[in-house]
Amino acid sequence: MAIGTTIPFTTIPWDDALFVVFAGTMLLAAILVVTMKDIIRCGLAMMVCFGALAGIYVIIGAPLVAAAEVLVYIGAISVLVLFAIMLTQTKDAPASLVFQTQAIPAALAAVLLAVVTILAIIATDWGALAERVATNTTELAKKLFSEWVLPFEIVGVLLLAAVVGGVFLAKRERGRDGEREGGQFR
Amino acid sequence: MIRIFVGAFLAAVFVGGLGIIALAAGGSRSLDAYLVLASLLFAIGMFGFLARRNAISMLMSIELMLNAVNLSIVAFGGFVKGLGASGSVIALMVMAVAAAEATVGLAIIIAIYRNKKTPLVDEYDAMSQ
Repeated sequence: MAIGTTIPFTTIPWDDALFVVFAGTMLLAAILVVTMKDIIRCGLAMMVCFGALAGIYVIIGAPLVAAAEVLVYIGAISVLVLFAIMLTQTKDAPASLVFQTQAIPAALAAVLLAVVTILAIIATDWGALAERVATNTTELAKKLFSEWVLPFEIVGVLLLAAVVGGVFLAKRERGRDGEREGGQFR
Repeated sequence: MIRIFVGAFLAAVFVGGLGIIALAAGGSRSLDAYLVLASLLFAIGMFGFLARRNAISMLMSIELMLNAVNLSIVAFGGFVKGLGASGSVIALMVMAVAAAEATVGLAIIIAIYRNKKTPLVDEYDAMSQ
């Protein structure tokens, strides 16, 4: 059974309505990520933001990117960030100050950047655009493993290097922990 | 309790205004709507990166900016005729590189935390002394 292209009893198409809902959720969650005091809640708001972004990818017509967004960002990166937060929380840190002293100039710069970018987007004529088409996953797979196979392999090597580097950097050096207590950095 | 209602009201006004703007810009069938959304997300991420004190908050802001760029890439892939599936492929590559960046960045933050006992970046002043 099809549910039609518009919301019942109105003329608003479903994709426009869903786009507005997802976009609003994403922007609100993003604002919460950069403004909330409790950093754990910032991490959870980041997960909401990425979930809404996955919905927007589906509306554009890139279902594989949406699935990868859910797997990589909500599943992996958010968990990594939450673990890092739990490893670096201190009880005695002055948690009342969330922002640096440059917060107001930073806000002005961000607003200026957004205004300039939006004006540029509206003023640009993008030429002959196609209708919004859904990406065919079979075509994507063929492209990934023929035209883009070298970047694909390089990304694989990069991920291996990142894993090895991450383990090496975060590893606790047992032999030298004692002599570093109150050592040269503090 | 009253704060929840005020917050919900402000969110409703925000989403409603955004809806009017999006419908005026052509709705979800125009490229402009997605690019405007991506630029807003990028600006929010830039503000977070410049303004937050916590190093992990700054990394989260970087993730927001990477996602904004990814959104614009996917939007171009969906709307530009010659690009086809390449937009999605580039977006997947960007995601993999972002995952690598998050791994190494968080490992560096944990390593610094072990030495300095604080996650706040304005305390990292060993180079200025």
